[in-house]
Amino acid sequence: MTKPKKPILRVENICKILGGKEILKSVSLSLYKGELKVLIGPSGAGKSTLLQCINFLIPPDKGRVWLEETEIQSHKKRELYTFRQQVGMIFQDFNLFDHLNALENVAIALRKVKKMSRQAARDCAVAELERVGLGDKTTLYPAELSGGQKQRVSIARALAMEPKIMLLDEPTSALDPELIGEVLSVIRNLAQGGMTMILATHQIGFTRSLADEVLFMENGSIIEQGTPEDLLSPDACTRSRDFCSRLNELYEEGV
Amino acid sequence: MDTIFFTDQLIPALNRGLIMSIKLIIPSALIGLMLGIVIGTLRTFGHSAVRKAANGYAIIFRGTPLVVQLFLLYFGLPNLGIYLDAYTAAVIGFILCSGAYHSEYIRGSLLSIKKGQFLAAQSMGFSTFKTMFNIIVPQAVRRALPGCGNEIIYLIKYSSLAYIITCIELTGEGKIIATRTFRYTEVFLVIGFYYLVLVTMASFVLQKIKERFKVPGFGKA
Repeated sequence: MTKPKKPILRVENICKILGGKEILKSVSLSLYKGELKVLIGPSGAGKSTLLQCINFLIPPDKGRVWLEETEIQSHKKRELYTFRQQVGMIFQDFNLFDHLNALENVAIALRKVKKMSRQAARDCAVAELERVGLGDKTTLYPAELSGGQKQRVSIARALAMEPKIMLLDEPTSALDPELIGEVLSVIRNLAQGGMTMILATHQIGFTRSLADEVLFMENGSIIEQGTPEDLLSPDACTRSRDFCSRLNELYEEGV
Repeated sequence: MDTIFFTDQLIPALNRGLIMSIKLIIPSALIGLMLGIVIGTLRTFGHSAVRKAANGYAIIFRGTPLVVQLFLLYFGLPNLGIYLDAYTAAVIGFILCSGAYHSEYIRGSLLSIKKGQFLAAQSMGFSTFKTMFNIIVPQAVRRALPGCGNEIIYLIKYSSLAYIITCIELTGEGKIIATRTFRYTEVFLVIGFYYLVLVTMASFVLQKIKERFKVPGFGKA
């Protein structure tokens, strides 16, 4: 893949200490348009914290973030809110708004943040839900949806904002095995459609087939990074490879 | 039993009082609930000074008898040059009192909303205020409805204190007749029945509201 010179998102030296523990130790990365970067690593490595620091849901102690050419001044509320509209976020436990049905979940930010009319927001929400295969579930509430359907609604909700990049924080980790596929196929379609994404996941097969670059995190640092072939091929002698084969063993044992 | 006492004296007086009671209850219930939502939100998420002020309000109005509050509003404020008529003083007293209780219910339910709801809204560019107004408070109010409904039912009954500051409502009208005729038993039995009907109607309306705002999987309506 040919990369344009300028990254769409640049993160420099993000540090975060939570509860006296150093969660992120000066993490930097650059994300180019159309790229899918996959974050892997053991639990507690700092993957979620890194993703939430990128859009300042957790304010980093140190570090700078640029979207395209603009550095984000996180203390300027208005700038921060505008920035967040351009960065879609998907959470492990979906975080759908419990009091709104699928359609309203997608439409509410369009109406309240993007100031679209009720009708326009509705039309847009229906289109986004159809795109993730939930055109027939628009009137159902979160409690009436399966985990996979909830996660697809949350993806539709993020896409409706027309983000420039998406941050996906272990989108399939809270799902039953048979529901993972439907969510991964939505993410695959996004990747093939050219969406720029950072994905934290433990789905190694998915990573191998779709990632442009793999970042392996451990103890708050990115300790290895490279293409899936470089890091994960059977004869690679990398920490990533080691970690992934242990994950595979776990899953095989489970069968 | 002389029905003339009932048809000519008691019922017309109580009906007059009932109208005054309703005039006291409806604005107090509506504005009190809104005040409670605002105060409850400030007590939970306000900045330190705001939170302290809101907590102070709740402590004072939950911690002192309503009669004392009403006396101070009606007989105390004129010392500061503020003159309220009896009706206004009573409504203000009821609003402040029920607002303090509502705030406690709202605060409890706000604390039960999961953090992910904030994060999701913030991640899409909702400001803090919009997150509260569009996402968090609507959920919290639904959860607080049973408690708030209870407070409104209390309000219907403590509205009877208005007659103490000369705002003659249902209980006041009845008491005047009871004192004049010394027929306390009949009068207060009928008054009790009036309140029972009021509370039953209020429960019915509250039930309809709960059904209207019912969301699947969101507590029991």
